[in-house]
Amino acid sequence: MSDLRSSIENASPSRNKWPLVAGIAAVAVALIAVVGFTVARGDSADRAAGGGEPVRGGTLEFALLDYQRSPDPQLGSNYAESIVTNNIGDKLVWQDPKTGEITPWLAESWEYNNELTEFTFHLRKDVTFSDGTPFNAEAVKANYDQFIRGDEKLEILPNGARLFPGYIGTDTPDDHTAVITFEKPLASTLQAASITSNQQPVFLSLSTLKLSAKERTDPKKVIGTGPFVYESWEEQVKTVLVRRKGYNWSPPAIGHRGEAYLDKVVFNTIPEASVRTGSLESGTIDATLDVGTTDEKPLATQGFKVNYRGVSGTAIRFDFNVSLFPTNDIAVRRAIQRGWDREAIKKTVLTDSYSVATSILDPSVPGYADYGDSVLKYDPEEARRLLEAAGWIEGPDGIRVKDGRKLVVKLLGISNLVVNKPAYESIQQDLKKIGIDLQLTVVPIPDWTAQRAKAQTDWNVTAANSSRNDPSVINLTYGPLLGNSSWLKKGTPEYDKALDVLGKIETTLDPAKRGEYAKAAQDLVLDELALTNPVYNPSQVIAQAGYVHGIIFDAQSRNNFVDTWKSNGR
Amino acid sequence: MLRYVTLKVGRALFVVWAAFTLTFVLLFVLPVNPVDLLFDPAEINTIPPEVRKQVAENYGFDDPVIVQYLDRLGHALTGDFGNSVQSGRPVTAAILDVLPSTLVLASGALVLALLIAFVIALVATSTRHAWVRNLVEALPSGSVSVPVFLSGILILQIFSFRLSWFPAFGGEGARSLVLPLITLAIPVSGPIAQLLVRSFATEFHSGYVTTSWAKGATRGGIIIRDVFRNASLPAFTIAGITFGNLIAGSVITETVFARKGIGRMTQIAINTLDVPLVQGVVVLVAVSFALINLIVDLIYPLLDPRLRATLAISIPQAATGGLR
Repeated sequence: MSDLRSSIENASPSRNKWPLVAGIAAVAVALIAVVGFTVARGDSADRAAGGGEPVRGGTLEFALLDYQRSPDPQLGSNYAESIVTNNIGDKLVWQDPKTGEITPWLAESWEYNNELTEFTFHLRKDVTFSDGTPFNAEAVKANYDQFIRGDEKLEILPNGARLFPGYIGTDTPDDHTAVITFEKPLASTLQAASITSNQQPVFLSLSTLKLSAKERTDPKKVIGTGPFVYESWEEQVKTVLVRRKGYNWSPPAIGHRGEAYLDKVVFNTIPEASVRTGSLESGTIDATLDVGTTDEKPLATQGFKVNYRGVSGTAIRFDFNVSLFPTNDIAVRRAIQRGWDREAIKKTVLTDSYSVATSILDPSVPGYADYGDSVLKYDPEEARRLLEAAGWIEGPDGIRVKDGRKLVVKLLGISNLVVNKPAYESIQQDLKKIGIDLQLTVVPIPDWTAQRAKAQTDWNVTAANSSRNDPSVINLTYGPLLGNSSWLKKGTPEYDKALDVLGKIETTLDPAKRGEYAKAAQDLVLDELALTNPVYNPSQVIAQAGYVHGIIFDAQSRNNFVDTWKSNGR
Repeated sequence: MLRYVTLKVGRALFVVWAAFTLTFVLLFVLPVNPVDLLFDPAEINTIPPEVRKQVAENYGFDDPVIVQYLDRLGHALTGDFGNSVQSGRPVTAAILDVLPSTLVLASGALVLALLIAFVIALVATSTRHAWVRNLVEALPSGSVSVPVFLSGILILQIFSFRLSWFPAFGGEGARSLVLPLITLAIPVSGPIAQLLVRSFATEFHSGYVTTSWAKGATRGGIIIRDVFRNASLPAFTIAGITFGNLIAGSVITETVFARKGIGRMTQIAINTLDVPLVQGVVVLVAVSFALINLIVDLIYPLLDPRLRATLAISIPQAATGGLR
C-alpha cells in the first residue's frame, strides 16, 4: 500500500517534467537533423550539363506523384497513366505542341467530307505491334469500336464516348484505309484522334482488345505499337518500360528516327513532394514531374533544369452560374472579371512557369485571342461603376446590397493545385475592396465532385480547368448541350446564342474560319455574356538533372521519352 | 469455458458485420453519385446520359439500395468485394497483392517497437539515477507526440538524402525496409513502453519482490527473473491499440516512403471514393481487429492463472445467479 502510494507520489512530479523533457528531446532531434543536413551537404557531384550528340542506352529514373491504376492505356485518367501510355502506344495523328497543327503519325495522310461527318485516314504500312502483328485498318476499327462503345462482357467502359460523340462506325475499304463516320459534324475529330491525355485513342493489338478489364492488369499482355514496351507494373510503386526493338515510326514532326535512345524508363511513384525533390538532389532519380511552386527556385539554383509547359485547354477559371442570384446579374460577373489585381497574383503566387490568364484559352491553343487589355484587365474603378449602375449600393460593412440582399458570391474550387487557394484568396481580398463578398470553399477532388452535382442550385462559381488543345474546348465546356458550365437556361436568348456561336466551332476545319469562330466564342463567353472569369494558366513542371536531354512536352503537356537521352548513357 | 468462447466469437462476428454495414451506409449516405467519380471531374457534364447509364448498370449502382446491400453482403461472405472502381481489379486481389508488404512492415515494426519498449522499461526500472529514469520515461510520450510524417521526413533527410545509407523510396531489398521500420516503430512503441514502465514499477514494489530481496537476490536478478515475466503480460491487453497504431502509422509511413501497402491503398481509396475498395479494406481491418482481440481474450486465461481461476469461479456463479 505504502509502495503504491510512494510510486504514485514519485510518478506525479516526474510526469510534470515530461513535456519539458520531451521538448528538449525534440529540440535535440531537430539539431541532429540540421547538423546532418549541413554536414552532408555541399557535394553537388557530377551535374555537368552539356548537349551535343545523343547518347544511346541507359535508364531514366523518373518520379511522379501518381501511379497507374491499371496498365490498360485506354482507361487512364491521371498524368502517370497518360504519360506511360504515350510511351507504349501511338495515335493516328500528332498535334504539334508549338503550332497546334495536326501532323502525320500512324496515319500518313487523311481527308474528310465537306460536312465533317466522315474522316478517311491512310495508314502507314510498316507499323507493327510489339507482338509482331501488323497495325492496319482492321486494328483501327477494332480499337475505335471498343474505345467508344465499350464492351460490357469484358467490363470495358466506353472510355472514348466523350471524345467522339455521334460515332457511327469505322469502315475498312482496304487494309490501310480507315473511314470513321459520325452522325453530325465533328471538326474536332482530328484533334481527338491525336489526344495524349486522359482516356486516349491509343492502339492496342487485337489480342489485347479481346482481354477483359481484369486480364489487362497483366502488363505483359498489353500490346501496343509504341517506342517502349511494358516490362513490369507494380501498382502504387512503379512501372518499368523497355525499348521496343525495331521501332521506327515516331511522329515525323518530332524529328526523331528509329528506336528510342534509352534502354529503359522507370516511372517511380513518390507521393511525397519533399521525397521527390530530395531524391532528385541526392541523384537517386534523374527527373521528376509534379514539382511544387515553392521547389522550383531552390532546384534551379542548385543547377537542375526546370522544364515546363502550360496545360493547353482552358485556364483555371471561375465559371459563373447565370441562373443563381447574384451571379445572374451580368454587372456582377463583369465586375468580378475586372475587380482583381493580376500583378499581385503574378508576383506573390505564381512562378515563371505559370501565367496569368488573358483569355479563356491557354495561349498555346489554336485560335487563342488576347483579352488582357480589355475585359480581363484590373480596373477597380470600372468594376465599381458597373455595380453602382446596376443598383448595388455599399452597405454598412462595405459589402454591397441590392433590394435588401447582400452581394455574396459562393465559390467552389479544387485544392489539387497548390496555387489555387492562395490565388483565389488574393482575388477574394481585391473583390472585398469593391464591395463583393467572395466566399471560398476549396476542397479535394472527390468533395468537389460531390458538390459539383449541386452546383446549379448551390454555387455561384465553380472553379476548374479543362485540358484539350483545341478551341472546341470552349464548346465542350460552355455548350448548352455539353458541359454547360454556366448553367444557361433553355428558352433564354443566351442559351440559343451560345448554342449557335459555340456549336459553329465543330462545323469547320478551315483555319481562317475556325479562327473566326473561336474568336466569336471567346467574345461570347468572356465579354458579351461574361460567363467566366479566367484566372491563371496551369503548367506541368519537370525538374531534371543537367545530363538529361530531350524530354518532350507534347500538345497536351504530357511527356514522351522517345527522344530522351542521358549524357552519361547510364 | 465454452460459453465464454462462444460469447467472444459471437462478439467478433458482430463487429465485422457491423463494420461492413456501417461502411455501406456511410458510403451511400455520402452526397455523391459514384458514377460521377469514374470520370474526369472537370468534364462531368459532358458525359452523355446513356454512357452514365451504361456505367451505372455495369457496376450495379442503379439497383435499389437494399438490393445492392444484400448483393454485396452475399458476395462479401464468399470473399468477393466486387471490383475496384478505379482500376477494375477485384478488390480481394488488390488487397492480397499489397497485404504482404504491409504485413512485413507492420510485424517488423512491432518487433522493433516491443524491443524499444522493453529497453525503456528495463532501463527505467533498473537505473538508480532519478534523472536517467525521468529522461527515459519521457521518451514514450515524446515518441507519440512527434508526427510520423515529420519523423519520417527527418529520418529520410539524414539517412537517405544526406548520408545515402538507405534508399528513399520503393520496396526492393531489405535495406529499403530499415527506415520505414524505424519510422513506424517509434510511435507504436510509445503506448507499449508507457504501459510497461508502469507495470514494471508496480511489480517491482510488490510483495514477492520483497521476498526475493529478503532471500538476497540481486537487483538485476530480480528484474530479469521475477519482474520481467509478470510485468510483461499486460502488454497483451493493448494489442488492439497497438494494431490500430500500426495501421494508422502505416498509412503515413507507406506514403512518405512510397511503399505499396494497405495503408497507402486505403488513403488513395478514400481520396478517390473507391467504394468497393474502401469497404474491402474496412472489413479486413475489422476482421483483423476482432481476431486480435479474440485471440487475446482466449489466450490470456491460459497465460495468467489468476484469470483462469476467476473464470472458473464466475461461470458457476452466473449459472446459480437465478436461484439467489
